[in-house]
Formats: sequence, C-alpha cells, structure tokens
Amino acid sequence: MNISDKITRIRVGTASCGIAAGADEVLELIKKNAGNIPVEEVGCIGHCYAEPLVDIETVDGVVSFSHVPATEKGVANLLSLSSEGRFSVPEGRKAKELHKVIRLAGRICPTSYDEYVANGGYEGLCNALAMQPDEVVGEVKKSGLRGRGGGGFPTGMKWGFLAAKKAEQKILICNADEGDPGAFMDRSLMESVPHQVLEGMLIAAYATGATKIFIYCRAEYPLAIKHLQIAIEQIYARKLNDLNGRSLEIIVKEGAGAFVCGEETALIHSLEGKRGTPRFRPPFPTDSGWKEWPTMINNVETFGNVPLIIAEGGEKYAETGTEGSKGTKLFALAGDLKYPGLVEVPMGTTLAEIVFEIGGADPENVKAVQTGGPSGGCIPVELFDTPVDYDSLRSLGAIMGSGGMIVIGKNRCMVETARYFLDFTHRESCGKCTFCRIGTKRMFETLERIVGGNGVPEDLDFLEDMGNKIRKGSLCGLGQTAPNPVLATLRYFRNEYEAHVLKHQCEALICNALVDVKLEQSNCIKCKLCIKNCPVDAVSDDFIIDNNKCTRCNTCIEVCPKNTIFRVKKGEGFYSE
Amino acid sequence: MSKIKIKLDGKEIVADSTKTILQIAEENGIQIPTLCYNQKVSRTTSCFVCVVKDVKTGRFLPSCSSCPIDGQEIESSSDEVSDMRKTALELLLSEHAGDCEAPCTVACPAHANVEEYVRAGRKGDFLESLKIIKERIPLPMSIGRVCPRFCEKDCRKNVTGKPVAINDFKRLAADMYYKSYMEELPPLTGKKVAVVGAGPAGLSTAYYLRRNGIESVVYDKMPKPGGMLRYGIPEYRLPKAILDTELAHFTKMGITFECNRKLGDNLSMQELKDNFDAIAVTIGCWKPGSMRCEGEEFAVQGIEWLEKIALADWSGDNPGKVIVVGGGNTAMDCVRTSVRLGSPDVNCFYRRTEAEMPAEQIEIDEAREEGVKFSFLTAPVKLRKAAEKLIMTCIKMELGEPDASGRRRPVPIEGSEYDVEADCVIAAIGQKTDAPTDLRTNKWGDIDVCEDTYHLEENVFAAGDCVTGAATVVEGVAGGRKIALGIVDFLTGSKHEPEYQINVSRGHWRSLADEDLVYLRSDVSEEPRVALEFIPLDERKTTFKEVCETLPREKMMAEGERCIECSCTAKGDCKLKKFSEEYAASPEAIKGEKIKSGYDNRHPVIIHDRNKCIKCGICVKVCKEVVNANLLSAKQRGFSTKVETAFGQQLPISCKDCGKCISECPVGALDWKIKE
Repeated sequence: MNISDKITRIRVGTASCGIAAGADEVLELIKKNAGNIPVEEVGCIGHCYAEPLVDIETVDGVVSFSHVPATEKGVANLLSLSSEGRFSVPEGRKAKELHKVIRLAGRICPTSYDEYVANGGYEGLCNALAMQPDEVVGEVKKSGLRGRGGGGFPTGMKWGFLAAKKAEQKILICNADEGDPGAFMDRSLMESVPHQVLEGMLIAAYATGATKIFIYCRAEYPLAIKHLQIAIEQIYARKLNDLNGRSLEIIVKEGAGAFVCGEETALIHSLEGKRGTPRFRPPFPTDSGWKEWPTMINNVETFGNVPLIIAEGGEKYAETGTEGSKGTKLFALAGDLKYPGLVEVPMGTTLAEIVFEIGGADPENVKAVQTGGPSGGCIPVELFDTPVDYDSLRSLGAIMGSGGMIVIGKNRCMVETARYFLDFTHRESCGKCTFCRIGTKRMFETLERIVGGNGVPEDLDFLEDMGNKIRKGSLCGLGQTAPNPVLATLRYFRNEYEAHVLKHQCEALICNALVDVKLEQSNCIKCKLCIKNCPVDAVSDDFIIDNNKCTRCNTCIEVCPKNTIFRVKKGEGFYSE
Repeated sequence: MSKIKIKLDGKEIVADSTKTILQIAEENGIQIPTLCYNQKVSRTTSCFVCVVKDVKTGRFLPSCSSCPIDGQEIESSSDEVSDMRKTALELLLSEHAGDCEAPCTVACPAHANVEEYVRAGRKGDFLESLKIIKERIPLPMSIGRVCPRFCEKDCRKNVTGKPVAINDFKRLAADMYYKSYMEELPPLTGKKVAVVGAGPAGLSTAYYLRRNGIESVVYDKMPKPGGMLRYGIPEYRLPKAILDTELAHFTKMGITFECNRKLGDNLSMQELKDNFDAIAVTIGCWKPGSMRCEGEEFAVQGIEWLEKIALADWSGDNPGKVIVVGGGNTAMDCVRTSVRLGSPDVNCFYRRTEAEMPAEQIEIDEAREEGVKFSFLTAPVKLRKAAEKLIMTCIKMELGEPDASGRRRPVPIEGSEYDVEADCVIAAIGQKTDAPTDLRTNKWGDIDVCEDTYHLEENVFAAGDCVTGAATVVEGVAGGRKIALGIVDFLTGSKHEPEYQINVSRGHWRSLADEDLVYLRSDVSEEPRVALEFIPLDERKTTFKEVCETLPREKMMAEGERCIECSCTAKGDCKLKKFSEEYAASPEAIKGEKIKSGYDNRHPVIIHDRNKCIKCGICVKVCKEVVNANLLSAKQRGFSTKVETAFGQQLPISCKDCGKCISECPVGALDWKIKE
C-alpha cells in the first residue's frame, strides 16, 4: 500500500454518527495499514451526511476524505493522499456557520486532556479561579447567555439565585437527557469535547458554590457517558474538582429513557430515585431541589458555552447574536435537505440561511421547517426570513427548543407530520396531568382518524380547542408544548387538514387511506418486477394494480425501473369488484 | 405569614400569601372543585379540575398548589374557567371505565333500584326488597306479573348466560308483603288533585302525590279502577283478585276512586278545575287502530273484545275459528284468550316476521305452546261475509328497506292474494288516545305536554299512554311518578328542574366479553336461571287461571346469587360524578379508547378496579405518607399509567384494618367490596 510520507497523524471521526456510517471498520483498516502513523479517534465535525470522515494531518496541512468505504481500496486511496474522495466544507456552510462551541469538535481527541488544554482548554476555568465567584456570575450575566435546553432562561440570573443561597449543600446538575427525536447537539458535544462541558460545570460550581455535580445523561448515549467518565477521571487526577475548599464529586447518572425526565423537576425526582414526574413550581429548584437542597440545572450546550465566555469575557461573547439572544446556537439539521448534520450559527441567522444556504435544501421543494422537535412548531417557507432567536420563534408558535430542526419537503403531508410528533409526545407524557395524559391521547386518536380518511370537520375544532386547553392545563413544558405541532400546522396548513376532512384527500399522497396506486401502462416494459415483488399479489398478469388488495407499501413503486407506478388520489386507481 | 391584597372573583380580599388559592377561596365561601387535592398528603397537582385564571397574565393556575401574589386578580367562576374544568372532567370521564348505575336500573323506565332489591332478596329480606321497589313502582304485584322486563334485556348476566330473573323478585316480594306493608305517609298539606283515569299512570300519580302529602280523587270511566290492568290484560296473566288486593292499598292510603265518570261525558274539565288545585290527565289509549282494509267493519276490535270478556268476568262464547291480525301483546292476549274460550283453531296473522313482532317473546312462545298457529308475512286486504263465515283475502309480503322504526318495511308481493275462512276476525293493530276535544293534542292525537314538566295548561298535567302513545305498565307508572313530582313542585311553587345525572357505562352487554365483567364477589353463581313454574298445559288452555306460580323464596334467594352487582361501589360519594353533574360534563362528550387495566378482587374485603382510577395519586401518597406502608405506586407512562402494587401482588390482609386509601379515593377505584 502506497502511504504518503507527508502524513503526520490520522483522525477518524468515531462519534455515534460516524460509527453508524461504518467508521469503526474504516478505523480498523487504517490502523492495520498505517504503520507507525498515529491514528486518533475524534468526535464529530458536524457533517453527518459525509460520514465516515477521515482527516489526514500532513506537513502541508489537513486533507479530509468523506464517505470513506471500509475497504482496502478505500483506505489505500486516502493513505496515498489521492485526489479522489476528498472532502471540503460546502460553501454555504463555510460562509454562514460560526464554530465557537464546536470549534474543537472532531479536531481533537475527546479523551485527551492534554490535547484539550493545548487548544486553549481550561483557560476559562483558570480565568474564573482568578476572579471572585460573584465576578464570574457577573461575566455570565454580561454575556447574555440564555438556557440552551429550550426554555431560554437567562443563565447568569439562575447562577445568581444559587450563588445567593446559604446552604450546607448546593447541587449542580447538567441536564444531558436530550430526548427530542432528531436532536443530537448535546450528544455530539459530550462525545466530541467532554472536557469543554465539564469545564463549564466546574466554572459554574466555583461561581455558585456548588458542592456536588450530577450529570443526568440518557443511557442511550453510551459513548458520551464513556467519554465523560474518562474526562472526569482526568479531572480528579489533576484535582481540578477541588473548588471552594472542598473536593467536588461529579456523578454521571444514567436516565432510563423517559422524555419527561428532561424537565427539571422530573429530572430531580428521577435522580432521587423516584418516579420521573414533574411537580408544581414554586418552589423552584434553586430554592428546593435535589433532596430539598438548592439545586441548579443547566443544559449541556449551556455549559459548553461557559468556558468561551470566561475565556474571552462576557462582553466579547455578547458581540455575537441579537439583542435578546446572544452567542451562537447549535442545530441538529435533518429532513429533506442536502447536508444534514450539526451546525453552529450566530443567533439571528435566518431560517432561510440555515435551511437553504447551510443545509443546501432545494427552495422549490421546501414547505416548512419544524423547530424544537416534537414540542415545537412548524414554520412555513413564507416566513423563512425570520431570524432564529428565542423570541422570534415563539411569536410564530414554534420554539427554539434544544435545537432540533427538521426540514419538511413539499412531498410531505402536514397532518401526518403532526400525527407523527403527537404519537411521540402522547406516549411520553408522564401520565400525571389530566389534560396531557388524556388530552394528547384524544388528539392523537383524532389525527389517526383524519389520516385514516375518517375525519369530520368538527375534528379540527376539537383539535384546536383541546390543543389550547392542554397548553393551559399542564404542569410542565411537555404538556404545555405537546399540542404545538398540531396547532402550528392548523395555523399555517389548515387547507391540508380541510382537504383531509372535507374532500378526503391527501394532496401530498402520503396518507395511505386516501391514496390509490396506479400503474401507467403506456411506459410499462412488462418486466414483471412489480408482480414478483408485490407481497400481496395485487398486480395482475396484465399489469393492473387492484387497490382492494394493495396495502400501499410502495414496494412496486420502488422496484419499477421505468418509474411508471404512482400513488394517486383515492378513487383514481382500479378496484376489483 | 404575610398579608397581601388580591382580587378573587371581583372581590377585594386580604389574604395570607402562604396559603393556596384553593384555601383562600374556601375561606371566602367560594367552592372550587378538586379531585387530586387532599389535605392529608403532599400535593400532586394532577387533575387540573381546580384551575382558576390569573386575569393579568391570562394563565390558568391549579389553585390547589398556587399561592397568590400581591395584586393578583383571580377568576374562579367565569365561563372560561368553568369550560376548562368541564373539559378536564370530560377527559377524565372519557377514560373512566365503570358503571355508575347497574344497566338494569338504567334500563328500567321507572329506574327502580334493581340491584338493591335483588340484593335484599338474595339475603332473604323481601320486605326490604318491596320497600326499595315501591320507591319507584307502586304496583309491584301487577308489574311483577306483566312487565316485559326491560331490566333483564340489559342485564350483564346475558354475557355468560341468561339474565337474572329480576321481575320474579318483584312478584315474590309483593306477594309476600304487599298486604302488610304500609309506607310512612306524611301529613296531608290540604292541596287536592284530581286524577282522570285509574290505569297505571293515574294510580302512580295518586300514589306519589300521597307520599308527598297530597290528597287525590281518581276518576275512571269504567265501573272499576285499574284501566287496562283490569280491562285489557287477561285474567290468566294478571288475576283480578290480585289487582283488587293491590288497589285496596290505595284506598287504605286515603286515595278515593270515582268510577263510571268519563271525561267529556259525565265529567268536565271545568268542574275539575273548579274543585281541585291541579288535574292529572291519565286517560290512556282506548281507541283501536285501523286494519285499513276493505270490510274491516266485519272484524272485532281486540281491545273492545277483551274489555267485553273482562266485563263478563273472563267468560264468553266459543268464537270458533279465530284469526287475530297483528303482532303485539294485545294480539297475543286475543289469541290466548280465544284458546281459553274453547276455539279449536286460533291463528295469528302478522305482516312481518317473528323477529319483528312487538310482542314479548315469552308471550309468543307460550301462545305457541297453547296451540296458536302463526302466519308471518301475511296482511289482510279484504274482509267479507259469506253465509255464516268470514272470508278474508290476504296477501303475502316480503321485507324491504328499514322504515323509521328501524324494522324492515313489509312490501306486498303482487299476485300473491289468497282467501282464508274464519268465524271470527280480531283486529289487534294498536291503540290510540281518545282525547276530549278541549285538550290540546299533537299530530299523533296524543295529549301535547311540555316534555320536561308534563305540564299541559294552567294547572293541568298529563302523563301515561295518552301522552306517549300505547306503552307498557311500567312506563305508565314511571310517567305517573314524574307528573306527581311535577305537580308537587307546581303546588309548592318550587321551580321544576329535571336533575342532570350522568351515568358512565362499560357498555351494553353485547359489546362485552366475559373478561370485561367486574366481579365484586368471587362466589357469583353460574347456575342456570331459575325456571318458571307453569300450571299444567291442559289447565292453561281451558281456564283463565294464572299461567305461572310465584316462585318460592329459597329459589329466588339462590337466583339472587347470580347477580353480578354491576353498579359502582362509590356511586353515592364519587367526586367525579358529583363535579361532572355540577359542571354538566358528559361522559359521551369526548370519545376514545379506554384502557383495560384490569381489577383485583383477590383481597377478601377490598376491590381495586383500576379501570375507574383517575390517577390522582392520593392512594399512593396516603399509603406512603400517612400509613407508611408504601404498598401502591404508579406504573407505566402517559395514557397507560396505572396504580398497582409492586409486582402486582395481592394487597396484604392487614389492609382490612386500615382502608385509609379507600376513604380518600375520590372515585370507586379502591373500595370495600361490601355494598349496603
């Protein structure tokens, strides 16, 4: 194998996204063939669509390869620094992104304390320790940082509450229970730069006088937990946890996967070993939290921002962003677009910039974007000039949320999309509040009926009325936001709902109950692939699809080499007697 | 404690900021409903029935948990707040699977408390049974014999076998104690009511008026009181000696009868208006319906024919070969009476099939046993006289589309006409109200009253068949009780408001499987239904003796063991029911899946029916925080949440001495098994 002698080090992206794309096999092959060249596992650079990604450090700089196949040939290609398969960041992303929080992600070894320090790590903590705790709180206040978990509460203010508490024990909790489907900002940070998140926590602990730190991380993130634990050991070894005159314990607690445990009071209950259900506030956790001690909870990304603030100063940090929302925000970009992945943009970047320029989505084919995951709302393409910040999104009936952003193409049905999200939330309701427990279930059943072709016009009034009541009559954020996907789609895409209930049509031809399948005979080459592959024998020998038998599974459409089988409006297909 | 000023429902008050809005409201005489709040345990804040509105922020707050802040303006009784509470209750009702009332009680037109009188009977206390029955049914001896048993048709026992023989409890209880039992009567108020018509509705009106301290005179056009009980229902179904016993009780109660007085004939509305405080018109349906065929004047009318035989003390000439046209209970009375008068050839012609016959199946079966022949899908088109015989031309029918009644419409088959010969043709086609011309009637010829109050005009009320059209005795009795109560309200000047009552139901037995039934007792009998005891068939066919005997006490006690006791153990003190009625929340408003989360009756004295649970969590907290036993916990998430013991274990026997969770359960999810 021809190995370029310019290579000094090889970095393979083995965060969860890379592993899912086959990075483990690529890593093995590289290690087998790279001889003495150091091969390093690194985190995610955010370009998930391009995984497996390999960065080759050479004497002339870094050369990157994307979609590296786990073959000898593929590995030989990169070790020879061939010009094939090279990766470069798409122009739009280069132009519009601003990497601050994920600046080191995928560039350094996540479990190397030294490499983190060599790249400016723990500067923030050093600066902090040189200041008085209240000065640190002041810096965070100055920075204008707001909670990145979705609520957007001013972080400095929260720190101030805990700092002001006089108590024998004060608890700091990192909320790493990232539960939104499609959101992976926190996972990526913990996997790629665990020290950065921990540094943020240590600064917070110093500033607030915390005596114990919990990281409540969902058990579905084994790699993140592993990296955090390695990093914690390294911190212990260097006694970085010796703050405020005592040695702080940092405990990683694995959550059992309940979405509601991302809500702070439910999270505390879970940490205490109780059933994870929210409780009424006040008292707020900073007054009475874990085992009734004053407790402060911040999200992973919030902590990830803290070292930057203390390193560069709150004022400098606040130069980025908008009036009410400072700094940058991470988004997990997914859906109908070219470049899904993790992106970091300054607050105030418009949706259009994120979706079209960064995400590379086709403007002709985008209907809306869903922000804030299942608790958020969709924003139609007409409103894409909206700047992304806490307040603008809320005014549109959506939320910033933790940073999930799903692009919805024109070929999607908004009723089905709403049903999909509500399917998630109604299952994840903790079951405590009447409106959330039963109301979301009843809304879900109504949506099932509508997409099943059995909706009636009164269903829309019911959805709207019940949605508003669930918002008003729920204890925690889960219930208060659960109806958002339905209410937002009803607000912006009412015509689609009306088509379902009045004309029993799904314009996007998604809802199976309102769709037939038809084979256009004129283009058919009679290859019989459809007949062979149909699982229910719905295609006749003379190539007519019987919609009485057809289950709308799409198999024939997928196998047809001439693309001559279509989903059509209900009633346009053939039905046997 | 710090004092703050707030506004509650527009009223400025000084409040203690450490108290909850719920407590402050209570101190100020404002009742806020709540299901999950319980002073004995830490708050849960889950039901959201206690919401109030913060006017300034527009937010809704659970008042059980929210403490007020200075200057806050709180709305606790606006339409918006009530609507939120109502929706919360309707959501809870939509997942609440139980039966407030037993289906038998709901099905009974008079809403007699069936489950309770069957239970009393099961325990051998038939006097108690009778007392419960007479709360709703003043004619238990008659109805115990002639009722079509609406209760039994809806009885849950139908899921696993034949329904409980409910009506036989009534008959036995009445036969045992009717003569000796006299209800406590309040002193008379001095008001006096005229009741016109001494049939079931009129008798019931007079009875419940008297039980409310109002005297009445019951007028009747016939020589003796009883109406159709005496002149329509044949002796073999309801012996007139029994009826006389029953009516004697009315006289004992101070009710007077004036017979041979017919409204619009020798009795005028004006005379009644002049002499009474109120008038109840319960004149029944005494006008025969028409066969609508040529020559129908050659037929005799069923009810007139029966009346004639009744007046002759159930005797008459042998009618020869008889054809009865019609498929209702009157038709059955005519054919079976014909048999008893010695007719050798009795036929029933009905234009639809047996399945559509309005007559009770048992009547049809017994008629058939007595030798009656049936011709279905047959209708008369012409009747003529030839020599001493009648010739009836009939046409064959077939069933077409369903009509307004839901039954398939009979359609004549062209060219299928044929002739039959008979000595006597009896038309039993139905009955109509024969209202005096000065009473307002509707398009069906029935007296036109206000649906809720049964009020006709001024001080005149009407009920029974003459309002509803021909119906059953028990329906007549139910109507009589309703106007009696309406008249009481009218005479005492209180506003008559029909009370709003909800009834949650697990569903009709046809929609249920064996595993859907909830058994309070583990020893519910699966023996077959008690068999009727008939007199010999020969005797049935030749005499007017009563067809069945009253079943003996021991047999009925055993029959009572078959009852599942479907009603809710907590129906008397269920907060969900109480607040739902207060906020007019309907169990039907929001529909959707009800999770079958099972029930546990393994404990000797406690039943845990999770299907009724509203997940308020009080039991979990009581057991943990008050009892310190921690036996219950919530399991699963979202809509599937349920409260259960660890690993589904049986509750310890020692729970029988505690029961704290039971006394705090706002519904009937955790309860004592014993119903009293």
